[in-house]
Amino acid sequence: MPASATVQPRNVSDPLIVLRAAGKTYTTAAGEFHALADIDMEIRRGEFMTIIGQSGSGKSTLLNLLAGIDRPSSGEVFVDGVALHTLSERELSIWRGRAVGIVFQFFQLLPTLTVAENVMLPMDFCNRWLARARRARALSLLDSVGIADQADKFPSALSGGQQQRVAVARALANAPPILLADEPTGNLDSRSSRALVQLLRERADAGETVILATHDRSVIEQASRSLTLADGRIVDIEASARG
Amino acid sequence: MADQLASDKTGVDQIGVDQIGDGRRRFALTGIAPRWRKMLRDAWLHKARTLLVVLAIATGLVAAGALLDAWALVQHVTDASYRASLPVSATLQIDSVDADALAAVRALPTIAAARARRSVLATAQINGAHPSALLFALDDYSSQEIARLQPETGEWPPRDGSIVIERSSLTFSAASVGQAIALTVGDKPPQALTVSGIARDVSLAPGWMENLVYGFVSPGTLVTLGLPAGFHELQIRVRDATADRDAIRRIAYEVKTLLERSGHTVTNVDVPLPGQHIHAPQMDSLILTQGAFSLLTLLVCGFLIINLITATLASQVREIGVMKSFGAQTGQLVAMYLGFALLIGVLATLLALLPSLLIGRAYAALKGEMLNFPIDGYAIPAWAIALQLVVGALLPVIAASLPVLRGCRLSVSAALRDTGIACLGANARRQRMIGVGHIGRPLLLSIGNAFRRRQRLLLTLLVLASGGAVYLGAANLRESVSDSVGYMFSMLRYDVSLRFSSPYPPAQIEAVASAVAGVRRAETWDVARANIDFSDGTRSGVIALIGLPADSTLVEPRLIEGHSIDGSDRKNLVVSSALLKHQPGLTIGSTLALIIDGKPSSWSVIGVVESGPQKLAYTSRAALAFRSGAESATTLVIATTPRGVASQLDVTQRLRAALVASGMPVANSQRPAESQKAYEDHMLMVVQFLGVMGWVMIAVGGMGLASTMSLGVLERTREIGVLRAIGARHRDIMLMLQVECMVIALLGWLVSIPLSVPMSSALGDAFGRIMFELPPNYMPNGEGVVRWLAMIVVVSILACAWPALRATRISAATALSYE
Repeated sequence: MPASATVQPRNVSDPLIVLRAAGKTYTTAAGEFHALADIDMEIRRGEFMTIIGQSGSGKSTLLNLLAGIDRPSSGEVFVDGVALHTLSERELSIWRGRAVGIVFQFFQLLPTLTVAENVMLPMDFCNRWLARARRARALSLLDSVGIADQADKFPSALSGGQQQRVAVARALANAPPILLADEPTGNLDSRSSRALVQLLRERADAGETVILATHDRSVIEQASRSLTLADGRIVDIEASARG
Repeated sequence: MADQLASDKTGVDQIGVDQIGDGRRRFALTGIAPRWRKMLRDAWLHKARTLLVVLAIATGLVAAGALLDAWALVQHVTDASYRASLPVSATLQIDSVDADALAAVRALPTIAAARARRSVLATAQINGAHPSALLFALDDYSSQEIARLQPETGEWPPRDGSIVIERSSLTFSAASVGQAIALTVGDKPPQALTVSGIARDVSLAPGWMENLVYGFVSPGTLVTLGLPAGFHELQIRVRDATADRDAIRRIAYEVKTLLERSGHTVTNVDVPLPGQHIHAPQMDSLILTQGAFSLLTLLVCGFLIINLITATLASQVREIGVMKSFGAQTGQLVAMYLGFALLIGVLATLLALLPSLLIGRAYAALKGEMLNFPIDGYAIPAWAIALQLVVGALLPVIAASLPVLRGCRLSVSAALRDTGIACLGANARRQRMIGVGHIGRPLLLSIGNAFRRRQRLLLTLLVLASGGAVYLGAANLRESVSDSVGYMFSMLRYDVSLRFSSPYPPAQIEAVASAVAGVRRAETWDVARANIDFSDGTRSGVIALIGLPADSTLVEPRLIEGHSIDGSDRKNLVVSSALLKHQPGLTIGSTLALIIDGKPSSWSVIGVVESGPQKLAYTSRAALAFRSGAESATTLVIATTPRGVASQLDVTQRLRAALVASGMPVANSQRPAESQKAYEDHMLMVVQFLGVMGWVMIAVGGMGLASTMSLGVLERTREIGVLRAIGARHRDIMLMLQVECMVIALLGWLVSIPLSVPMSSALGDAFGRIMFELPPNYMPNGEGVVRWLAMIVVVSILACAWPALRATRISAATALSYE
């Protein structure tokens, strides 16, 4: 963790993620656009949380704030005691590499790297794990998502469902405590969707905090809590039966 | 697992085989970290595009490297050969050098060595030709203390009755060891000498360039040729090897004073530039000028790198965002993309190294021939090779730095939001602005596409236009040189000139010449060698002073300023503009103190004429009569009735025979037409050396254009797919790309025309430094512009061929699924 980061004292029972009056405003040609406003929320360790809402409601923006991809225009974002809103781009990079794993809707695998190499790349950039142990770890992660036999293929040779599993394995490469996924099932068929949600549920059961932005009803049903956004504001937080 | 979290930067993983989706295998990158595998595979994925840029940079590096190698090798040989020969610091022309004088000079603390020499101008007769010969006789051939001579084959030193030919005049003389040469000195009867060996004197300008046969003979041989015994040159080498020209000049004048005090007469003191061969400044100017152009070539190679890297980064913005999202830092990504640039640099350098060494060596050999140095047996200095490696490898890294930094600094959110190329709106605006209502849509699209990436277009245009500007500038220079040389020789209205060893009465020469059939007009000149006697006691180099008859019509130099000479015996001078340039204080009305044949006299400058690079002055033949009390002539010029070369040679042969029969032997004869050809060839060789850089830049520009088109095709893969989906045929796609490429090429052609004006000026200045000043000729000539247009059309067709072919191979389905 960067030395300059503001870290709040914490213990295991403290919430892992805390947002206080967080807002995000974009300046466009048409004027200011408030993507998020006055978001106050807490997320506990090991939660499987979904963020739902219409297109443009601010789901992706909220995920970006949690991932340290964007900074809030107002308010504060704390993750595991680290004040993300105070970190520089470089500090955010280092923090992101160790603290969060991100799964994108369109997988975003690098096409000129094999499946195993895609999973090894975060370890390489973050200098995690002994270099000679990285492939073994990548294969182990691929095995855990059920595609170890595809390790030496290039992403273009895989189906959408398989590519999303690789994306999950890549997100887990540096053993982050938080897994963020933006519409991870948006490009998958129903069978692949179910399998992926099951996989993410297992990660949450294993103690990782999983937060998903989704429209998918079957995903929402698996969540311990669902947060609903409309026009950049929280309109509802609902604990599900699983929670 | 905690123990595995330790940092280990040196460890590598093992992956043996890479297999892509369609079952084909790609090269394995065992033992390389994933980020570097990505870099290598990205380069391999677009290998043709990468290769084009590698080839373009390699071409630039070959040119720059060859020049660097040649320069470094010649510098090295200059040290090892010329300076190691302990060259003469100064030469004093003296009435006679005796043992006492030599001993006195050698005893001076500032003098390291001294020797006596005699130089004699003679006429040789070899294989039916009559070349001029310059014979040297030394007091001591065994001395290794000053201007060491290098015997190569045959006997050394020359014995009585034999001659050792200097190596650089071997081809010109057509002589060989064992052959006999007849030598005539003055009006003495010819004597046959045997060529007994070949030696090299690195201090001499090459005989083949000076049209002279250099020969070394013994003092006894000079007596055999009819000359009195003794030496008239004293050559010294100063002890201080670091002394500059002024310091050496001071020492030489101390020697002069010493000799004059002991009763000798010193008529001239010549101090060459220390440590430099007589042709070295010209050669250095040439190579430095070429070097400047090669740096320009490397600069345009840098533009190609910027284009390539910018396009690569633009196509990978989202990948950059993804990599940053899982922890990649800006520095790591910068290193990765600069690593790609370094890879290009290393490949280009490896590709360029051998050709640059070979071309550099060949060029150095040519330069060595011009300087009379042997370069065989010397290696190109290691520092030159190391510098090429470093510059070649780092050039792309330096060029890529800015775009890489800009691209990799992009925030994660901005990178992930990237939507690729989106400027169709701007394109449509442009099309509306240029008012192209009658142009078909596909053609309109092609023209619009050419302007789509403005930075890339600008850099591509600069690359093409720079090559074109150098090409047009070189064409201008060639025309200027031809015009100037033509003008210089157009002043000479005679067909043959004949030089006598001794002066004769003009009327006597003219009477004999006029009686020879075929001689239309004969004119005699008195040509003297003069030195300017400066007020500080020093003297200039030799100036040719041409004494013309009052009714001279066979030479007509163009008067720039002042008055022409008349036939009176007043000591008036009309000086050449070249002389004026070297004597800046000289103006019309100046009084000039000259030493002619050892005699001081005072002259008035009354006019300036244009006569090319020659440092000379015209006066009346009568004005030079003061030397002997009566008018005399040393040169006969004739206009012949027959115009053919064979007829002119026949007239010359008969005229020589008639003059010999009248007791006036001719030392040598020359046809201006021959001299003009040789002179023009010599000048144009320098133009070619400069112009070759234009070709290199055009080649680089062509590859740059191909690279730009290739990037355009890649970026518009999806668009091409849409066009194919709505019915565009192969030929429609190819035609669209060809039109786009042609638009860029024609713009490059257009930009190169104004750019050629400063380029012509720069080339003209460079030529002026190397050879002689030319009248300004900056406007590009029509023929060159049309030739360049034809060339750029061909370049455009070739550059577009491969990208266009590639575009037609893209299937609609593949193209539409392209991200």
